[in-house]
Amino acid sequence: MPQWLHLDDPNLWLVLAGTVLVGAASALVGVFAFLRRRALVGDAVAHSVLPGIALAFVVGQSRSLAVLLPGAFISGLLALWSIDAIARNSRIKPDAATGLVLSVFFGTGILLMTWIQRSQGAAQAGLDRFLFGQAAGILPTDLYLFAAVAAFLAVCIAIALKEFRLLSFDPEFARAIGMPFRSLEGLLAVLTVLAVVIGVQTVGVVLMAALLITPAAAARFWTDRLGTMLLLAAGIAAMGSMAGSMVSYAVPRQPTGPWIIVALSALALASMAFAPRRGWLAQRIRLAAYRRKIARENVLKAFWHAAEEQRPEVASVPGAGHPTSPVLSEAQLLERRAFVPRSLRRSMRKLARQGLLQAVQAQPDAVSAAGWQATPEGLRAGARLARIHRLWELYLTEKLRIAPDHVHDDAEAIEHLITPELEAELEAVLDHPERDPHGSAIPRPNGTGSRGKDRTEKPINPKAG
Amino acid sequence: MTTAIADPVLEVHDLTVTYRQKPALWDIDFGIPQGVLVGVVGPNGAGKSTLIKAIMDLVPTASGYANCFGQSLDEVRQRVSYVPQRESVDWDFPASALDVVLMGRYGKRGLFRRLSNRDRRVARECLRTVGLEAFADRQIAQLSGGQQQRVFLARALAQEADLYLMDEPFAGVDAATERTTLELLGELRDQGKTIVVVHHDLQTAAEYFDWIVLLNTRLVAYGPKAEVFTPELLQETYGGSLTLLANVSELARKQNLPVRE
Ligand SMILES: Nc1ncnc2c1ncn2[C@@H]1O[C@H](COP(=O)(O)OP(=O)(O)O)[C@@H](O)[C@H]1O
Ligand SMILES: [Mg+2]
Repeated sequence: MPQWLHLDDPNLWLVLAGTVLVGAASALVGVFAFLRRRALVGDAVAHSVLPGIALAFVVGQSRSLAVLLPGAFISGLLALWSIDAIARNSRIKPDAATGLVLSVFFGTGILLMTWIQRSQGAAQAGLDRFLFGQAAGILPTDLYLFAAVAAFLAVCIAIALKEFRLLSFDPEFARAIGMPFRSLEGLLAVLTVLAVVIGVQTVGVVLMAALLITPAAAARFWTDRLGTMLLLAAGIAAMGSMAGSMVSYAVPRQPTGPWIIVALSALALASMAFAPRRGWLAQRIRLAAYRRKIARENVLKAFWHAAEEQRPEVASVPGAGHPTSPVLSEAQLLERRAFVPRSLRRSMRKLARQGLLQAVQAQPDAVSAAGWQATPEGLRAGARLARIHRLWELYLTEKLRIAPDHVHDDAEAIEHLITPELEAELEAVLDHPERDPHGSAIPRPNGTGSRGKDRTEKPINPKAG
Repeated sequence: MTTAIADPVLEVHDLTVTYRQKPALWDIDFGIPQGVLVGVVGPNGAGKSTLIKAIMDLVPTASGYANCFGQSLDEVRQRVSYVPQRESVDWDFPASALDVVLMGRYGKRGLFRRLSNRDRRVARECLRTVGLEAFADRQIAQLSGGQQQRVFLARALAQEADLYLMDEPFAGVDAATERTTLELLGELRDQGKTIVVVHHDLQTAAEYFDWIVLLNTRLVAYGPKAEVFTPELLQETYGGSLTLLANVSELARKQNLPVRE
């Protein structure tokens, strides 16, 4: 255990418990603010509790949370109500209304605090902790308050999870089935203000929005389930709060709130980078795998093209048999297409393992050189790609009226993407065509050959048909 | 042209809806009998979505009202199902296809009540009906556009309603979805349910629906499609712009006056 961690210091435990409770509670309501794209509203509410705190201090002449927090609560709710009323009853759009309310309330709060500082002297010391937060000052009684509020939030969300889910996903449907939409929105607003009110003590009004939104944003990377996302967000917030509190406890004169936000941001960045599926790394890996698949498919297509050129009569007459793959050396493949040699060798090794390609030894009579040959299955796969390529070219020229000499590159990319269902639909839309816009026969679905004559025939003008 | 309907399932009476003094619907008045498949057809911006939303009480009306089953909507909400436009929601929401279909059961279950096993069974059944049983646990963002539209259909089915109001269920869907949707609508109609479908494509409208409501801010015509699908009425709907009406409402808007008392 490191020297600086005085685990017997009750103050450390107070701070840890307090910040974890506040962080987890904020994260729970923050998930809904995040999903409803109301991050800015959370920010506005946070800034707007400041005048309430200042006025409560003036009226109550006390710095205890029991006096200040009700003031914060009322002014936060008032701010939310104002945003709603302005957006509803004037031409000002909701985002502008939010910004407006934020600045008016925050400005008023700062004015009041300045005035208190001037007129009340030293007695106000400690009010400015609400700007950037100060967890070190948490008292045991505060902790009970935090615990009560956090428990209340958690219970409310557990009970109304179904309603909040629908409210966030499809508010119109919620109203259509007769949910008490306004009341539920109001409940969510009250919960948000409650979370903000206990949060400003530890992270301050300026950073409060980050405590609401960051855990939700981080959690979203890890799951596609709302329930899981709520738990994860609370967990991430607890971790970040703990880490931030430890740093500010261990290092002299370090503020808690900013360190909590730094820790949370680090967790969010890590989620963004490393989460499975949605994370940056996973996406890079997926992209690399897709590139390798494209490279392999291009090799198979090259074999099919070679087979088609070699035996057009077999490729073109239905039932005349299966075209066989010619033997191609690496050099010949490189001639056909600008493969990257290293990736070409890797593609071929993999294709061989998949049973789509086989190595052919040089014959003693020197009739055929050593090289590679596609297996019947590999040739079928190549035919399917050529087929999709030509169908897509036809689709672009016929349905989208794109000039035939502009469609090749597009098809080169699309052929690797199209699923069998889309392939079937494409064929149906084009009414089972036989030729692409350049006059090449389109291989049949089973991939064993083509219909119609070979490609030496003069091109058909797609616009003429 | 109007047809008097005895005992309409849906009755829209003198309905006017304005967005900031700009009329989206003007004096709409019609009735729909039970057991028909109705297409609401009109050009872009004709107010088709607005009509459905006004019936569902989702936009404020300047005048008039809509009744379902002869009662105000609030009394019969359980019997009315609304399918919003697919683009109206964020499909990146953390929910599975089954989660969304289950939302169709929320109204039956009531506020703060947990869903029952029967709800889950019904929801899965509805997913099967639209051919998505294999996708129940799929995150909705990973579904194709047509599949997402079918999830919305399944959610509507899960409501077990008698009147369905659907906003553009055929917009941008694949052939499989179009077929499934059509079959489904036919089956619902054969069960005696009434279905009102917003549709923008004139070509297919005649083929899909029994009844047509031609709409372009005002009601051009409604009734069985044979009566309504005449060149003159279509020209009236899609052709000549409503210049005078537009000018009058523009005047009202500029002077910030209401177009209704
Ligand atoms: N929320 C809104 N605020 C202002 N104008 C709107 C709003 N919704 C729709 N409109 C306007 O009302 C008219 C009708 O819209 P809508 O009902 O969506 O037409 P449709 O569904 O037939 O395309 C359009 O001119 C549209 O711009
Ligand atoms: Mg619409």
